[in-house]
Amino acid sequence: MLSFCTFVLFFLSLSGLLHAKSSHGDSVLVVVEEVHKKDYSIFFDGLKEQGYELTFRAPKDEKPVVSEHDVPSFAHIIILASESKNFAKDITPQSLVELLSGGTNLILALSTKQTALSSLAAEFSLILPPPSTPLVSFFPERKDPPTVIPISAPASSLILSPKLAPVWFSGAAHALGNNPFLVPILRAPTESFAADTDSGADALVDATEKGGEGFWAGSQLSVATGFQALGGARVTWVGGVDLFSDKFAKKEVSKGVKSGNTQFARDVAAWTFQESLVLRIDSTTHHLVNTTTPPEQYTTNDNIVYSAHISRFNPSKSTWEPYSGIKDMQLEFTMLDPHIRTALLPVPGSPGKYSVTFRAPDRHGVFKFVIDYKRKGWTHLHSSTTVALVPPRHDGYPRFLSAAWPYYAGAISTSVGFFLFSAAWLAGESREKKAKAKAQ
Amino acid sequence: MPTAFPLPSDLSPATVTNTASLLRIVALALISGAAIASRLFAVINFESIIHEFDPWFNYRATRVLAAKGFYEFWNWFDPTAWYPLGRVVGGTVYPGLMATSGVIYNFLHALNLPVDIRNICVMLAPGFSALTAWATYMFTKEMKDESAGLLAAAFIGIVPGYISRSVAGSYDNEAIAIFLLMFTFYCWIKALKLGSALFGTLAAVFYFYMVAAWGGYVFITNMIPLHGLVLILMGRFTSRLYVAYSSWYVIGTLSSMQVPFVGFQPVSTSEHMAALGVFGLLQIVAFVQLVRSHVSSKQFQDLLFVVLVTAGLVGFAAFIGLTYKGAIAPWTGRFYSLWDTGYAKKHIPIIASVSEHQPTAWPSFFMDLQFLIFLFPAGVILCFHQLRDEHVFVIIYAVMASYFAGVMVRLMLTLTPVVCVASAVAFSTLLDTYVDAAEPDDAEAPADSATPSESGAAAKKTKKAAAATPSSSGSALSDLVAAAVPNKKKGIYGLDTRFAIIVNAIGMLAFFVFHCTWATSSAYSSPSVVLASQNPDGSQHIIDDFREAYYWLRQNTPETAVVMSWWDYGYQIAGMADRPTLVDNNTWNNTHIATVGKAMSSSEEVAYPILRKHDVDYVLVIFGGLLGYSGDDINKFLWMVRIAQGVWPEEIQEPNYFTPQGEYRVDEHASPAMKNSLMYKMSYYRFSELFGGGPSTDRVRNQQIPKVGPTLDYLDEAYTTDNWIVRIYQVRSEDLLGRDLKSANAFAQGKKRKRSKPMSRRRPIV
Repeated sequence: MLSFCTFVLFFLSLSGLLHAKSSHGDSVLVVVEEVHKKDYSIFFDGLKEQGYELTFRAPKDEKPVVSEHDVPSFAHIIILASESKNFAKDITPQSLVELLSGGTNLILALSTKQTALSSLAAEFSLILPPPSTPLVSFFPERKDPPTVIPISAPASSLILSPKLAPVWFSGAAHALGNNPFLVPILRAPTESFAADTDSGADALVDATEKGGEGFWAGSQLSVATGFQALGGARVTWVGGVDLFSDKFAKKEVSKGVKSGNTQFARDVAAWTFQESLVLRIDSTTHHLVNTTTPPEQYTTNDNIVYSAHISRFNPSKSTWEPYSGIKDMQLEFTMLDPHIRTALLPVPGSPGKYSVTFRAPDRHGVFKFVIDYKRKGWTHLHSSTTVALVPPRHDGYPRFLSAAWPYYAGAISTSVGFFLFSAAWLAGESREKKAKAKAQ
Repeated sequence: MPTAFPLPSDLSPATVTNTASLLRIVALALISGAAIASRLFAVINFESIIHEFDPWFNYRATRVLAAKGFYEFWNWFDPTAWYPLGRVVGGTVYPGLMATSGVIYNFLHALNLPVDIRNICVMLAPGFSALTAWATYMFTKEMKDESAGLLAAAFIGIVPGYISRSVAGSYDNEAIAIFLLMFTFYCWIKALKLGSALFGTLAAVFYFYMVAAWGGYVFITNMIPLHGLVLILMGRFTSRLYVAYSSWYVIGTLSSMQVPFVGFQPVSTSEHMAALGVFGLLQIVAFVQLVRSHVSSKQFQDLLFVVLVTAGLVGFAAFIGLTYKGAIAPWTGRFYSLWDTGYAKKHIPIIASVSEHQPTAWPSFFMDLQFLIFLFPAGVILCFHQLRDEHVFVIIYAVMASYFAGVMVRLMLTLTPVVCVASAVAFSTLLDTYVDAAEPDDAEAPADSATPSESGAAAKKTKKAAAATPSSSGSALSDLVAAAVPNKKKGIYGLDTRFAIIVNAIGMLAFFVFHCTWATSSAYSSPSVVLASQNPDGSQHIIDDFREAYYWLRQNTPETAVVMSWWDYGYQIAGMADRPTLVDNNTWNNTHIATVGKAMSSSEEVAYPILRKHDVDYVLVIFGGLLGYSGDDINKFLWMVRIAQGVWPEEIQEPNYFTPQGEYRVDEHASPAMKNSLMYKMSYYRFSELFGGGPSTDRVRNQQIPKVGPTLDYLDEAYTTDNWIVRIYQVRSEDLLGRDLKSANAFAQGKKRKRSKPMSRRRPIV
């Protein structure tokens, strides 16, 4: 009995460990040529260990389809078939964007060749170098060809693990447009550039001419770039498919130091599949100071309390936990333009709760409480609640104003005067009648 | 005793009086019945439905009043109108109409008569038209006599000029306002005649009701002071005038200030200053009269001269000074446009864009008033004949109202009552003269050769006429006697002349009835929410696109979906679709309307940020090109451009929407600004597809639309009604990938994007 219990406990803990940690789902479609499948076994095994259910499909296979009746079939898709010119009918740049709007996360690998995915990259504001111009670097000195480059991870990165060993990279880098949704993950080394390796020394000149003034070189290029789409879906573009390969994962960077590729692939997948840096607004409430329920409408100059509850996904327990770590969130009280913009700070003592008290503007209209929190790497937080702000009711104004005393005095004196006059008039009338009566 | 036909002599005076009053009551009842019945064409031809635009708001407000009570109505803030500004309805509305319906509704429900509020709203205008007929009778009776009163009541009951604003379902302020106008005038005349503070107060009470009901109360506010001023200038100042005017002005002004929408206007705007000025003048004149009774006449004249000149100068200077300082608001634009018909077009396009504010076309005078329009001057001249105080009032009213009716179509309504009164005076004088049995003294023997039956019929007529002849001295009998007494030098001889004139007159009346019935049934009974056309076989075909579209919105969109349309349709969308709107027929915020005008007249790229900023989910346009419905948005488009140009003269320019030849075209010669405008695109989107490759003709403008129609990147077609009159577009949400929607759309259609280069970080060396 006891042994059975321990067995069950062990099994549960094991299943908990193996359970997918994504906040979005654990079905993954991997589009890869059958022959190359085994080249990425470390990456795939790592994903399986995390609890993802991997389905494999060659680029030209018809089945399994990526979406059926406009409903995405998989939570995540990895396309490692970067060299394929042709995909099956259901994988087109348009259908991939359609999948994004359905919430599917994508990892897409590019190559130095011009493929269907290169035209899709342009939609994400990635600017690709001309075809057949891989990233080249002669530093640091090494035995490998100049196109195989060790890239050290940035010192501080939200997405990558700290103290990540340099990552081997081979492929094309891309420049970034000015799209604010882009999240650079790994920049190209400063000494690197994109060049045509076959045509000798003129390559640099040609590349410059092709690229013009802003040619493809240096750390303005990126080799792995994330993209946080508006709907919440995430996309990661990788310049070369070898980044995920077993060969690079096992290759040593320097004597005795293993490359960071395995961990890098793991980190990129964790971010793309919405394991890390995932936030959500659980609820928002608003009410008057000293009350608890939201009124139908507010009056101008009311003191309003607005609070939001925010959770962060914890991949190790795969649960949502209250999160109080945001220090730079703002609340806007908007009608056409923000009338009030104030910091929405965490409430000490109550985890996950952010609250602010403010006085409503002296302007009636239909206002919105807007939270619009967009930070690179993090899930975008957006919340908008519409309320009406009305002028005071007819009995909501003060009854007596001290400033109006001249008018009160005027009204009272007129009334008294009228009363006295009437009294005098009536008295005068009666006397006249009496006089007439006497005369008769 | 020469009479043209025999008169019965054996009738007791009491019988005559009783018969006359019975006939009057029956006649008034029949007139009320006719007035109500002729207004029901709209219900019979179509259905019991609220008409047009403004009534939809009144109806919606009345429902709130009936459901929530008066205080909630007073404090009603409507967050769905003028999104996102909202509208403080309680403070920006004349509540008289809604309050009237609310009182009737509560009264009927207290009697356990569960009448639907909609039916009360639909039937309110016909009901009040019967009251108007009665008020006009009372008013005209003061001018001449009961017979003229009955004629005036019959005229106003069926005259098209008044029916146009009071058919069943035309639930607008004017529906009750004309009754209030006439009754206030009646009370004023009565107060003036009797010098009665009671009638003056009554006039003030009805004036207050009028203020609460219609913005046109300013007409009364200026008519009565003008009458008072003219009487003073004519040297007809009396204590009766003083009592009547003072009681009316003081009580009327104080009570009118209780209406939240009016507030302090009676003491702070120029439109109300005449009433205040005349009030002051009356006090001075009264004081002067008092002084005159105490000092000698020479001293008095010097004193009067000095006082008058000083008072006049001081008053005028004070008025100018206060206006300059801003204490008195200057005249509003609507007021200026009353004097200069071109003013609005130049300065306030929003006022000029309303068709009701256009100058009246000549034929519409005949259309609305028929033969009354040429009896009207005769009646005014007859008023000059007697020229008692009340006749002066009719003359002033006639002059003012004629001018205003010529300036604005809408003010035809204020002219109609005085036309009915004056024509009734003229017509009844005509009948009095020719039906009167008395003949001049030196007459030959009367035409006794008339057959007995004829004379019998004539005698009956005489009875009526006699009952209705002037009763200034009091009893009908004395009239009868006076008419029969042969003391006339001038008169009509014989039956043939009488017969010719009277047959002619009755013929005119008959044609008038035919004209009124025809005009009412064919021109003024259309609800304009539902359109009607004729099938080839003559049967009626109902075009119900408006309600189709509004119900689509109601049932297929979330309740908070904001709908943008031109302001004409704001009230209808709020009333029938129950969705928030950006602008509506309460045109209080010119900038907001100009914003909508700008969105409609700019290109999609410019319009999209405006739409997003205002949270617009749907855009609604009216398009008549397929059916030939000329009141559509493309025909109103230039007003949108003009109004937008008034606020953004750099961005929107009217000439850009014309061809270089200055033509307003929608075919392939249309100007680029026209073709790129959101309005053009929404109107003609996929229009040519409908013709399957054949020439696609816009039937309103008779122009051919290019085969390759406009494309839309930022909007999606959501719904188009049966006859394409209403087209609804959904505004696309922002692109998932942060692109502009134009390139996103190009991508979705598989177009290749131009290769781009990385941004330069270095400046080029020149």
